[in-house]
Amino acid sequence: MISRTERLLNHTVLAFVSILVLFPVVWFFFTALSPNQGGQLDFGNLHWGNFGTAWRLGGFGHAMLASAVITIGAVTGQTVLAILSGFAFGVLGVAGQRVIFPVVLLGLMISAEVFIVPLYYTFQSLGLTNSWLGLIIIQIGMGVPFGTFWMRATFRAVPVSLVEAAEMDGARAWRILWQILLPISRPAVLTLALLSFMWTWNDFFLSLIFIADPSIQPATLALGVFQGRHSVDVNLLAAGSLIVALPVLVLYAFFQRHFIRGVLNGALKE
Amino acid sequence: MSSRQLLPRRAAPAAAVPEGAVGPAARGRRRQSPRARRRRWLGLAFAAPALIMYGFVVVVPIVQSVSYSFYSWDGVSTARFVGLSNYTAFFTDPELGEALAHVLVLVLFFAGLPILLGLLSAALLGRGKLRGAGLYRWLLFLPQVLTSVVVAVIWKRIYGPNGPLNSALRAVGLGDLARNWLGDFTWALPSLGVIGTWTALGLCMVLFVAGVAAIPNELYEQARLDGASPVKEFLAITLPALRGQLAVALTLTVTGALRAFDLVWVTTQGGPGTSTTTPALLLYRKAFLNPDVGMAAAIGIVLAIICLLVALIITRLSEENA
Repeated sequence: MISRTERLLNHTVLAFVSILVLFPVVWFFFTALSPNQGGQLDFGNLHWGNFGTAWRLGGFGHAMLASAVITIGAVTGQTVLAILSGFAFGVLGVAGQRVIFPVVLLGLMISAEVFIVPLYYTFQSLGLTNSWLGLIIIQIGMGVPFGTFWMRATFRAVPVSLVEAAEMDGARAWRILWQILLPISRPAVLTLALLSFMWTWNDFFLSLIFIADPSIQPATLALGVFQGRHSVDVNLLAAGSLIVALPVLVLYAFFQRHFIRGVLNGALKE
Repeated sequence: MSSRQLLPRRAAPAAAVPEGAVGPAARGRRRQSPRARRRRWLGLAFAAPALIMYGFVVVVPIVQSVSYSFYSWDGVSTARFVGLSNYTAFFTDPELGEALAHVLVLVLFFAGLPILLGLLSAALLGRGKLRGAGLYRWLLFLPQVLTSVVVAVIWKRIYGPNGPLNSALRAVGLGDLARNWLGDFTWALPSLGVIGTWTALGLCMVLFVAGVAAIPNELYEQARLDGASPVKEFLAITLPALRGQLAVALTLTVTGALRAFDLVWVTTQGGPGTSTTTPALLLYRKAFLNPDVGMAAAIGIVLAIICLLVALIITRLSEENA
């Protein structure tokens, strides 16, 4: 048992840190509703129209569409490939895996900076720069290590007897994957898809390098441009930022457990 | 059928390997039934799409990166072989040296401070199930899901000449301290660092508090009976139990500091002067703005090696027995 004073102390510490974390976000939210350019808070006069104005001025309609296309493409691709390769490495075994597996493992610790330069020149020669498809391909390729590890661990956690029973009934690989393993693994697949959504939507570095044409740039990039151009209109800038952050925030509100478990477990590797 | 027997390898009993299955090809390697072998080829087929994409986007370009890094190339004219000179530049080029020194400062703010504060709070919060733990976790984790560009825009405003930080300073009579924080040669880098602290603190707290909650209460009760002081309790029970979580937090935050780009690019672009440059920023400039492609590749390789070493060392330390 812990004492009352101790409990009070615990809450005080946590509440204090929570306020420190939350203050900038809440304050920024009210800045977005401020009636004047300077962003002075005015709680009696909330300008919800700022969101509409920012949306139009920043061309966020286009940019959000670009982000949506890139993100949906990347999430779908990453998830499907992760399921297939997780099944291969976790259940079937892969010919040559003693060489292949460590190479995939390495990918968990490698970040884009290492391969971005040659990749850019390759993509340029293939006409894949300045295209949504190009970004989708990069995101899918980069997502392979984490996706493979995640789904491999998931499938390995399924009781062997279930798979055995299916085999007795004569089920083949495809059926075992789709009708036995996947239905039980739905929460893990959801976590993977959510993380992949967050990482793709929030990306800035790759878009900055591979998308030069303003008419097809995704939302994070559009926000970067917007803040360069409208740095005086603080209220609009804040509104634009919240528009860009919103999709992930909404998903986080609904699926916070999945996000937290994913980020923490994902970092644990094997 | 090739896919009839789908047992995971760990479950396949060794006795199930039929004697005749060991052909000349398999001899000297591991004994495998033809079925198991066929299953592994099927596995390769299942993994193939992922492996091809990974090879195309990551593996091949890494190899190319290594070869680029031995050349001097402006992206247009013919490349010139320069051996290791792009790498030796790390010891001689003042710009690069400065960027690496900035990383050390960032590590302090991105990793050191959040982990120390996180441990402190874990020690304070100690035992017992806390009511509202879920809500705290939700709040503290929030910066992790926020787009880095948005984080940058928020903090740029906070640090601005008329931002809330300066207003607060003026309000309490410390107006002399007010300044354009991100435009100040001395203060820009620590100011950036604080943004990293803000982002990582919640993550560290969530990790450590969850870790502490998993420690059996009996351990603490026993320690109390033995008359251990709170400090001793922390050192003897809490800290060792948090080894795994510490490793995760360190790996995430240190590599985050090493790779800092988005935040720096959106807030200061490396300025004022060169006071907030980072290796990733120089990489971007050298690859795409004033092309020195070989140098950019070398920076990428060095960053990767440092990140790998950091991850390896941390894993080693965390697995060692106390």
